[in-house]
Formats: sequence, structure tokens, C-alpha cells
Amino acid sequence: MKDTLTGEMNHIWLHLFLISFTLLAVYPILWVFAIAFSGNQSLMIADISANPTFFDHLRTILPWPQHISWQNFSDVMTEQPFARWMLNSVIVAALTTILGVFLACTAAYSFSRFKFPAQRAGLMSFLVSQMFPGTLMLVPLYIIIVKYLHLGNTYWGLIMVYSTTAIPFCVWMLKGYFDTISVEIEESAIMDGATRTMIFFRIILPLAQPAIAVTALFSFMTGWNEFIVASLFMEEEIRYTAPVGLRFFVGGFAQQWGYFAAGSIIVSLPVVILFMFTQKYLISGLTAGGVKG
Amino acid sequence: MKKFVSMPVAVGLLLAAALAFFLGALFVDQAAEDMARSIEERRGIVQAMALSEVVSRIESQDTDVEGRLATAVKYWGRLETGGIRVIRLSGARLLASSMPGDGTIPRRLKMDEKYLFDLGQRLRIARETNRDEGIARKKEIELEHMPDNRLSVSAPYLVDGAVRGYVQLNLPQHKPARLASRGPAILGAALVIGVFFVLALALGRYGIFRPDGRGLSRGQLALAAGVLLLGLWIFAVTQLSALADHRWRLEEGLAEHFMLVREASRDISQSFALKTAPITDNRWDVDEYRRPLHINDGHGHLRLKGLDGVQAALFKEMRRSFDGVGLLALALLLFSGAGWAGRLKHTLVENREAYLYVSPAIIGMLILVFFPFLYGIVLSFTDATIYNTGAPLKELWIGFTNYVNILADIHVFARTGQGWVVNYQNFYWTLYITVAWTVVNVSIGVSVGLLLALILNTKGLKLRAVYRVLLILPWAIPNYITALIWRGMFHKQFGVINQVIQMCGGEPVAWFDGVFSSFITGIATNGWLSFPFMMVMCLGGLQSISQEMYEAARLDGAGRWHQFRYITLPSLKPVLVPAIIISVVWTFNMFNIIFLVSGGEPAGSNEILITQAYKIAFEQYRYGYAAAYSTIIFVILLAYGIFQIKMTKATEANI
Repeated sequence: MKDTLTGEMNHIWLHLFLISFTLLAVYPILWVFAIAFSGNQSLMIADISANPTFFDHLRTILPWPQHISWQNFSDVMTEQPFARWMLNSVIVAALTTILGVFLACTAAYSFSRFKFPAQRAGLMSFLVSQMFPGTLMLVPLYIIIVKYLHLGNTYWGLIMVYSTTAIPFCVWMLKGYFDTISVEIEESAIMDGATRTMIFFRIILPLAQPAIAVTALFSFMTGWNEFIVASLFMEEEIRYTAPVGLRFFVGGFAQQWGYFAAGSIIVSLPVVILFMFTQKYLISGLTAGGVKG
Repeated sequence: MKKFVSMPVAVGLLLAAALAFFLGALFVDQAAEDMARSIEERRGIVQAMALSEVVSRIESQDTDVEGRLATAVKYWGRLETGGIRVIRLSGARLLASSMPGDGTIPRRLKMDEKYLFDLGQRLRIARETNRDEGIARKKEIELEHMPDNRLSVSAPYLVDGAVRGYVQLNLPQHKPARLASRGPAILGAALVIGVFFVLALALGRYGIFRPDGRGLSRGQLALAAGVLLLGLWIFAVTQLSALADHRWRLEEGLAEHFMLVREASRDISQSFALKTAPITDNRWDVDEYRRPLHINDGHGHLRLKGLDGVQAALFKEMRRSFDGVGLLALALLLFSGAGWAGRLKHTLVENREAYLYVSPAIIGMLILVFFPFLYGIVLSFTDATIYNTGAPLKELWIGFTNYVNILADIHVFARTGQGWVVNYQNFYWTLYITVAWTVVNVSIGVSVGLLLALILNTKGLKLRAVYRVLLILPWAIPNYITALIWRGMFHKQFGVINQVIQMCGGEPVAWFDGVFSSFITGIATNGWLSFPFMMVMCLGGLQSISQEMYEAARLDGAGRWHQFRYITLPSLKPVLVPAIIISVVWTFNMFNIIFLVSGGEPAGSNEILITQAYKIAFEQYRYGYAAAYSTIIFVILLAYGIFQIKMTKATEANI
């Protein structure tokens, strides 16, 4: 008992440091909540008098609104087309996840389990493609998707672009993980008469769940958070995705910070929740991919 | 038969012939179509030029201009013209029109017809520029292919040597007469294959060019190549002469049309007693820069010399296409005939499972990642902009000019009246900012992340899970939202950061007005969102270090610093090195933060390379230049990647 107590005493400085640092790190998030619940569009948490004192300034810093109101949330969902933008984002991100995970799993399995000509070249080209600057690809992508495939202003145009951009990272990470799954399981399964497809779906995929979770999260985030390609491809306001819409609130000369804050919370919530669920996998997945890749 | 004919060669020849003749026919069709289109365009230009001459005479006589124009336009309708507009620039007046839906004429142009006025201004500027510079640089006649299969031609009319307005004609397009090239192509391909089989069989019977045990025969390969090239050559020659005939017919049609136009012009001029200039040379059949083409003489006859010039240019191009087709076909033939295709097929079959699994991703990547990448590289050698997107890349090709313009401009500092100033648009300044941005961010990320990971890894620390979840939050929030939040917090008047400064008695800072303070805003934002990644990576690495190593070290009397330096850091290396490489690449291309927080303010001084490339592409619309800029970014990153991998390998070898 005494031992743990002294242990805690030693840690008090660490706790002090951690608490202050955490407060600093969480502050912008609290700030957004304060603006969102303030019910108006201002950037300030509290009004300020002409000759502000120390405490007036302190009041504007404290992340607690003067009046708590759901006004911004209800307005952004009803008066602004934000609900529609969210729906667009959900569709795009969900399909991106499905397609992206499928593409990454099959490719990573092949790279991990088979030896074939051009294997190394393929893997390296995936790695190099991570360095392609987006600005180099935008104009050609626009030409391919909008001019040739006539997929401008559609979900599929975005889904195709997002799921392929997510492939290289996902493949490298999954390959690292697949490499750690022992080959003997598969060999014995083959002895028992299992086909490759059965092995892939019944053995490898269930075993690789943590890594697949990370891959899914990454693909989802790619679709959920992208705004440049979306703003180029989606011409009609009704087709905007949520990120394009959020930028619409405070980009240029627009100053609807209340809508922005409320919208941000709505948009971030699913990602943050997903992130928190998968974060224990994330660490093992990332380190496995990092070390073995 | 199998004994005498080499199967790989036969199959290769079949494919090569099919490909070559198909492509050949395609090129010929394309050339015929282009030819027909250019004739249609010239038909339009001739009309527009003739009409603009009439209009300028009516305008310079200055009696009952509008009434006479209406009559002239009506009379002109005999020439199967879809619709005509005559627009005078001063006063933005629509003087005459036979287009449906234009309402009562004459009148002022309406607000939604501003594009008509702008078009006229462009034509005037083009005319003046070309006259002042003495060269044909800007197009003086504008052609537009309308979606409803009509051609819109706009040509200026001049009074006293100055552009006063322009005429616009909407001509219905004739469906171009097809050139029969499919039949000869199929026949040619069949002949090539037939001749090869007959020859191969005949020679084989006498023991010449017999295939070896694996079915390969060099002799037959050479034979097939010869037959193929000969067949293709004959096809090319006959098709080119067919093209020449085709042009002749089209030109004759145009010359006839020219006579009709001339008649109409003369009739109008006579009825209004206008002064006319006799047609000695053909001044109406011109290109878009109003340079005479000298193909027909204005009296219904073709000029062989002028025609030959046009023909020669086309033939040169066609010959080059056919050369390319021949090379491609030969390569295919060789590929199959030398047994490479067989080996490739063998490899594919051998590893069919591997390729099956990898193919969906590879196909997706090829279409949507690698092809756009290569297309972008090609674009970087052109001066493509938003204004010439329709033009073929070949016409826009400018070689290394973009790269030279970017890299050879070393005037980062310029001397002005106020002393030395930095040219923020210069590539090297942006590069400097980008490197500083990357180094500072990654250093902050690594040191803060490592520090937090070490603290959180302390044995027996309570609430560790709570801290960790809260500290990961900045990473979980979409980074564009983070960027916009921080932009709000850095607001000069209402931002919370300036409130803190004022609370402490300081003056509010205009964050985005200073080069350094603006840089700081980006660093703060990016630091905030990037430390959790490093922290998580380090935590993962720390947890895999076994405690026994520390105990052993303590027994040896190693202090905390020594333990950190000789156990913790080396054990973290396998995690840290890839994490650093990744975050360098990420930060180098961290578009969202710069773009959304400071937007590169002030005056573009805080742009990093990637945001600068974006602005060149989508704010200045210089696609070619932006592509070159982006390619340079890629080369820098690639060089960094290779260097980093070499370094890692070298250090690993030392240990």
C-alpha cells in the first residue's frame, strides 16, 4: 500500500504535465463545442465590452457559451442543405470502404503469399505512387472521370478515385500483417483439401481482422474527409459532400461559424467514434506494417 | 501444316496484321474526317469573310445602314446559312439578325448576351495585336463547333482599317462523305496472312525455314515481317492516293460554293451601288489568322501549288502515323514469333492465382493512378491552359520550357527602391518554405510524440488510458476541420488566441499579415494534429521492448540517459524510421493546412510547393506549368525516398 502511494507521489509531476498538456490539446475541440452551442454565428464565445478587463478576456476564452442553445444544430440540418450533404458523404464513404477493403485485401494477400514475377516491381510502384503529388493528378483525373467516363457529378466518380488512392497504403499495411500469419495454417488447410478462395475467406480474413479494421477506417476516412476532388467533380450544390459544404460555410467571405461548428461536430462524431473503436487495432496494425513492411 | 508453319509466328502475324490494318484504317478515316471538317470550316470562313466585306461597305456608305443590312442578311439566306448576326461594337448593337429568337432588330445587346460582346472585343484585340506586332499570333476569326452539329463562325468587319464590329454565321454542317477504308483494310490483312501461309508452306516443303522442335523459326519470322510490311506499305500508298482524290473532290465542291458566295456578294453590292473591289486573288479563303491559303483562285479553279502544300503536310503526318503502326505491328509480331508471348502466357498461367488476386487493385491503380500520373507528366511538357483544352497535346508541345522557366529563375531577391525584396512567387523561395515547414513539423511531431509516449509508458501510471484517448483526439478529427478551427482561432479581431494575448496585456497580432507569424499559424495547427501519430507509434514500439534489458542495464550501472540512449532509442528505430519517412512525405504534401489556415498569406509567401502548384493550376489555370511544378515536387520526394532508404540500409549494415 505504502509502495503504490509513494509511486503515485512520484508521478504527480507527470500528472500535472499530462493534465496541462491534455487541456491544451483538447481546447480547440471544446472551443468548437462552445461556438456550436452558442446559438449564433459569431467567432467569439462571449461578447466583449469596449474596454475589456482581464476577466472579460478570460470569459471569451473559457469554452462555455453564454446561452446554451441547439439552434445551430437544428438550423444547419433544416435550413441549410447539410443533411443532404451528409447523406452524400455517407454513401460515398461507405462504398469507398467496401471497394477499397476488397481491392486492398486481395492484392495484399497475393503480394504476401505468392512469389510471382513483377511482384517487387508492383509493391515498389505502390510505394512510389504515394509520392505522386495530388495536383499532378487532378487535371488528368478530371479528364478521365468527367470527360471520358462521364461520371462527373456522380457518386461513382468519387468512389472510384477515393478507393484507388487508398489502395497503396492499405496494401502495404495489410501485407505486413498477412506476413505475420504463419503459412503452416494454410498448408495444413490445403492438405485437408481447401481451395485458395476458401483459405482466403475462411482463414486469412478472420485472422487479419485488426488490420482489416484499420484498412477500413483508412478507406472510410479517405472518402469522408476529402474535399478538393469532390469540389472539382460535384458541380451542383445538392451533390456536395459534407467537407465541401463545411468549407462553404466559412470559406471565402462567408462567416457562418455557428453552422460550421455544429456541422463539424456532426461530421467528426462518426469518425472519432470509429477511430476510438479501432484505435487498439490501429496501433498493432500500424506497427506490424511499419516493422515488417 | 503444323510441321511447316511456325505457330507463334502465325499467331503473331495474325494479331499484328489485324492491329496494323485496323489502326491504319482508323488513321485514314480520321484524316478524311479532319479534312472534311476543315473544308466545312473554310466554307464558313469564306461566307463570313465575304459577308463581312459587304457589311463593311454598307457601313462605310452610311446611308440607311440598318435597313440595307436587313436586306443583305435576308438575301444571304439563299446560301443555306443557318443564321446570321451582325453586331456593332460601339453601343453594343445588334444591327441585323436572322437567328430565331433574337426578337426585334436593331436593338442593344441584352445582359445575358454579354458573351456576344466579349467575343467581338476578343476579335478586335486579336486584330490590333496582330497588326501591331506584325505577326499572326491571335486568331482573328473564331470558330466554334456547336453541340447541335452546327458551326459558328465569327469574323470581324473593318471600316477604315479598324474593327467596327463582326458578323456571326451559324452554318449547318454537312455530314462528311466517308472514305471507304474498311474494305481495303480487311482485304489487305487477309492477303498478308494468306501470302504468308502459302509461302511458308511452299518453302517448308523444300526444307527452307522449317520451324524447330519448339515451333520457332527465325526465317519465317523474317518472312512474316516482310510480308506484313509490304502489305501495309501497299495499303498506305493506295489509301493516301484515295485521300488525295478525296481532297480534290472536296476542294472542287468548295470552289463551286465560292462562286455562289461571290454571286451573292456581287448582287448585293450592285443593288446598293456599293464600291466593289474586283477579285483578283482569293481573299476570302483564309485561315483563322486571316492569312490567304491560295488554294483556289476565286474563279472556280484550283491552284495545284497551294493544294500541294496542304497535301504535303498531311502526307508527312500520315506517313509518320503509318511508320508508328508498322513499328507497333512488328513489335507484336516479334513478341509472339520469338516465343516471348508463349513464355509470358506460361508465366501468367503458372501464377494465375497470384495475378487473379492482384489484378483488381492493379487495374484500378493503372487507370486511376498511374495513367493520370503519366498524363500529368506529358502535360508538363505543354503549355496547356484552360483556354486551349480542346487542342491536341501535340500542338501545345513546348518541350522543357516549363521546367526551364521554373528552375532557371533564380531571382529570389530583387532590388527595388525600398531595398531588397523577396519574390515570393519564385520556386526556390517556395522550396525553402516547404523544407523549413517539413523539418520544423516533423521535429516537433517526433519530440512531442516521443516525450508523451515515454511519460505514458511509465510503469504504474494511473489514468493512462484516459490520457491516451484524449491525446489521440486531435488525430481523429478530420484535418480540414482542424485547419478551419485554427483559422478561426487565429482571427485577428475575434480569434481566441488574440484574446489570450490581450488578457496578458499584449497587443492583438495580425497573424496572417506577417511572413513569420503566418508560418507559425501553420506550424501550430499541424503540430497539434500530427503529434498523436508519433505518440502512438512510439508507444507501440516502447511496449515491445522487454523490461529485462533495462534490468540488465541497471545491474551494469547504466543511468537513465544511458538506458534511453542505448536501449530505448535503438529499439524504437524500426518503428521510428518508417514513421518519420511517412510523416516527412505527408508533411511535405500537407495541402489542407496551408491551403485552409493561412492560404499562403501574405502575398503567397507561405505557400508550400503543393499549394503553389494547386494555385497555378486552378487559380491561374496554367495546367501545363502546374504539371511541371508538380513533377518537380515528385522528383524531390522520390530523391528523398531513395536517399532515406539508402541511409537506413547503410546504418543497418554498420550495426
